[in-house]
Amino acid sequence: MARRSYSKHIPDFRYVTYFGETGRSAVHSMNPWTKIGLLFFVVALVTVVMDLYWLLLILALAIAFYAAGRLPLKVLFGWYTLPLFFVASLSILYIFTEPGKDLFRIQLLGIAVAITDSGVTLMATLLVRALAVVTFSLAVFMTTKYTHITIIASRVMPGTLANIFLLSYRFMFETSDEVSDVLDAMRSRGGNLAKGALRQTRMFAGIFGIAFVHAFDRAERIAKAMEARGYIGEFPVTEPLNKPTAGGYALIALGITSLALAAYSRYFDKGLFGW
Amino acid sequence: MAHIHLEDGAFSPLWLLTWSAIAAILIAIALLANRRKEIPPRKIAIAAMCASVGFAVFMVEVPTPVGPVHMNFTPLIGILAGPGMGSLVALVINIFGAAIGHGGWGMVGPNSIVNIVEVVIGYYTFRLFKTKSRTGDFWSGFSATTIALTISAFLVVLIVSISEIQGSNLTRGETLNNMLILAVANVVAAVVEGIVTGYIVSFLGRVRPDLLLAEAASPPDKRISLVTSGGAPDG
Repeated sequence: MARRSYSKHIPDFRYVTYFGETGRSAVHSMNPWTKIGLLFFVVALVTVVMDLYWLLLILALAIAFYAAGRLPLKVLFGWYTLPLFFVASLSILYIFTEPGKDLFRIQLLGIAVAITDSGVTLMATLLVRALAVVTFSLAVFMTTKYTHITIIASRVMPGTLANIFLLSYRFMFETSDEVSDVLDAMRSRGGNLAKGALRQTRMFAGIFGIAFVHAFDRAERIAKAMEARGYIGEFPVTEPLNKPTAGGYALIALGITSLALAAYSRYFDKGLFGW
Repeated sequence: MAHIHLEDGAFSPLWLLTWSAIAAILIAIALLANRRKEIPPRKIAIAAMCASVGFAVFMVEVPTPVGPVHMNFTPLIGILAGPGMGSLVALVINIFGAAIGHGGWGMVGPNSIVNIVEVVIGYYTFRLFKTKSRTGDFWSGFSATTIALTISAFLVVLIVSISEIQGSNLTRGETLNNMLILAVANVVAAVVEGIVTGYIVSFLGRVRPDLLLAEAASPPDKRISLVTSGGAPDG
């Protein structure tokens, strides 16, 4: 399937869902509840674990999980730009200000600026944490069917929130296509050659404005359809979603054990794993 | 990006739980505010469409003199959907964002606090400019967005400075100094998003004026009644 995204570093939800719907790997056949449970443990582990080497191991396991789903690694590395940007924007100054041994020092306008080992380690740690979760999260969404995600959302979220989530998820693909169509039309008419920041800004504002107007028109049509079909405050779930298998429960138990050990090591016995 | 999104592992478990609990309280307030009266399907559909457009638009890079930026439009969502529904929309967008690395899963709570503040301030500031001082659509939209995003940029500074980045040996004061530089960059991006939002609001004011402050104006319920008004059916 061709990707249709206007930013190479942002995952395209239609592309993500395509893999979830068509893939046939062992990860695809894993129970969705198990995958969501494992995602929770990955998030909790990267929050609790402090040692960079253990975090690298978690990242490696997340990439192995992603690869086991027969998902494109090259695309994943392109998508790493987004978390990289967020981590860098938060921690870029720490590589200069974190107390530690100087790795590199220069004089800028009479002021000594140094990159410290602790600063670099901190930034690397934050980056590995973010990438581990992003990789696992994308693997989960790229190996789980749309219907199963909607069932899980409707079970775990409060009614109103679940309804908003389910409707927006359902129409995100159309909205995204619509914005892409308008951008295509603009570019085919040389719109991207427009000179001047103000003109450019107004043009994009027009595109986004149209997207909002169309969305509201669609919302009004959907509301009428919902009422005509007897909407009573919830969307009925018709497809069953089985409980995790014995293997799934074993993986969840492994996640609980790992988290408990990591927490014990961090708060009670720092020598347990050497961090 | 007009505001920063925090990735997983930036905060210690204690602070993560604290901010998540505060976010849960804000979401509970938004849910309760929406539960006071029966929610018409139109309101749910509008909130859902705001979430899907907000997320779709985020994927588009807007070229600016200071480099490409992505818009989130949380203040605009507040203006269009109202503070209650807008807060829920902000959470939904954060959940979608977390799925693709635009903010972490564990950070949905802290990120939602920032976004909810943007939604609420965006809505009330716009309402103030529009109804009290009778400012035009562009300037109302621009001012509401710029003020909301500027405040949220400093809120991020506050949240990160209080929590501190886990693994860092800097004091809270030193963390604050680091984060203030980031806040200045975010304020510049806030002005860019303010201009874009101003144009969108003036565009909406021309083609669909009923959408602006529709929440505050409490438009009549457009639900279709299957029973004909004016008495019992014939026969």
